[in-house]
Amino acid sequence: MKVSSLKYLLKEGFKNLFNNRLMSFASIGVLTSCLILTGAALLFSLNISSALKSVEDKNSFTVYLNDDLSNLESVRVGEKIKNVNNVESCSFYSKDEAIEQWKDKLGVLFDGLQGNENPLPNVFHVTLTDLSRYSETIAKIQTIEGVHSISDRSETAEKLTQLNNLVTSMGFWIVVILGCISLFIISNTISVTMHSRKLEISIMKSVGATDSFVKIPFMVEGVMIGIISAITSILLLSLVYKTLTLSIEQVIPLSTIPFLSLLGNITLGFILAGITFGLLGGSISIRKYLKKKQG
Amino acid sequence: MVEFKNVCKAYENGTLALKNVNLNIDKGEFVFIVGSSGAGKSTFLKLIMREETPTSGEIIINGRRLTELKHKEVPYLRRDMGIVFQDFRLIPKMNVFDNVAFAMRVVGANQRYIKKRVPYVLELLGLKEKAFCFPNELSGGEQQRVGLARALVNNPKIIIADEPTGNVDPRMSFEIVSLLEKINQRGTTILMVTHELFLVKKFPKRLIQINKGEIIHDSKFEEVHYES
Repeated sequence: MKVSSLKYLLKEGFKNLFNNRLMSFASIGVLTSCLILTGAALLFSLNISSALKSVEDKNSFTVYLNDDLSNLESVRVGEKIKNVNNVESCSFYSKDEAIEQWKDKLGVLFDGLQGNENPLPNVFHVTLTDLSRYSETIAKIQTIEGVHSISDRSETAEKLTQLNNLVTSMGFWIVVILGCISLFIISNTISVTMHSRKLEISIMKSVGATDSFVKIPFMVEGVMIGIISAITSILLLSLVYKTLTLSIEQVIPLSTIPFLSLLGNITLGFILAGITFGLLGGSISIRKYLKKKQG
Repeated sequence: MVEFKNVCKAYENGTLALKNVNLNIDKGEFVFIVGSSGAGKSTFLKLIMREETPTSGEIIINGRRLTELKHKEVPYLRRDMGIVFQDFRLIPKMNVFDNVAFAMRVVGANQRYIKKRVPYVLELLGLKEKAFCFPNELSGGEQQRVGLARALVNNPKIIIADEPTGNVDPRMSFEIVSLLEKINQRGTTILMVTHELFLVKKFPKRLIQINKGEIIHDSKFEEVHYES
């Protein structure tokens, strides 16, 4: 194809996008939502994986004591924990301290829960000397009288994995449904453009335009919808992610993956996905139209 | 230039539009095609333009066997043709220059050649002063001359005019056929479908009459008399 033709066709594609702006806007909206949800599910999954890894690498855990133990009895249990082989340190954390901390973070939600109303147990934070003897040490502590339960890494890991699986499978179906809706709307948007330009298309065909010459402006329109959606969704996703991680980090001591470190891959993935969706949506309607008007 | 050998065309709904048509139009001929509505004239033109394919028989246009032509080769067949429509089919948002240039852009002509060729064709058809007018600012006759300019601009070997005078007054009809005659004198084959018998009488050209899908008269082989 000649450069002059290509320039002309690209210009026509941009014109299509603008002339049909309402439908183009709808397509961009739906495709953007689809990309944002895909990105959100992906970011969630990446953060969970990173949290899982940090849990697995951790050489500490929390020992929860029975609710009916007094502070003095609790300190005695702590002595027994300290005496267990492989325990490096063991620090007491009373339920009154715990409730005060939660109150500082979440305020009114914890009002009136002090004293006997306090639902939290006394706990010990235990650090190990040798991580390879993790399970053996846990089993020993579990046998000490007054110990209610231990929040060990396998439990946390299991919960995180369950959450990750749930979000991934839900995210997958939402993305599939939104993907189909995006394709439908993009192909309809381009269909509307094609019908509004049917006179030009019929003249093009009568003077000997090839199918690709007829198709290119509409493909350009689809690709532009894809690229604009990709850029919009990256901007929105980064904004939502930053706001959300900042709020979460204020409540839970969780280190999230910085958006900037993922920006390159997300941009590439989103733009490729946007272009693919745009081209696919465009080609569905073009093929249908040209088949109908074949000749 | 145009050859039909035992061509039949039946549509899916069972209508037999053309029955065993045999025809030969030489290069440089000017042919009027007449016939009542539903006689098969449109099917005849659609077969030439390869908008339809025959049910049986063979069509050869400018050396190309249309029954063997692949879909991707159809545009190149049409580049040898200039089509003039009864309803002009001008793009309302484009001015005269752009309407004519559009046909050149579609076949990949470069901008420099377009800038040279379009004014030349517009001058040839007496439209030089109207180059930057929009279709709604032109009379029916002028619009059809723009349609003719668009058909002519790519130097076609054959011009197919489907009732080009159907929407213009008799004086303008006469002018349009005169223009087609002028183009024909330069060697372009002209195929014109018409209902206007005064034009057929005024311009003594080959006349083919189609009725119920059959060629019932061809002035190349017999004398035809029309009553208006």
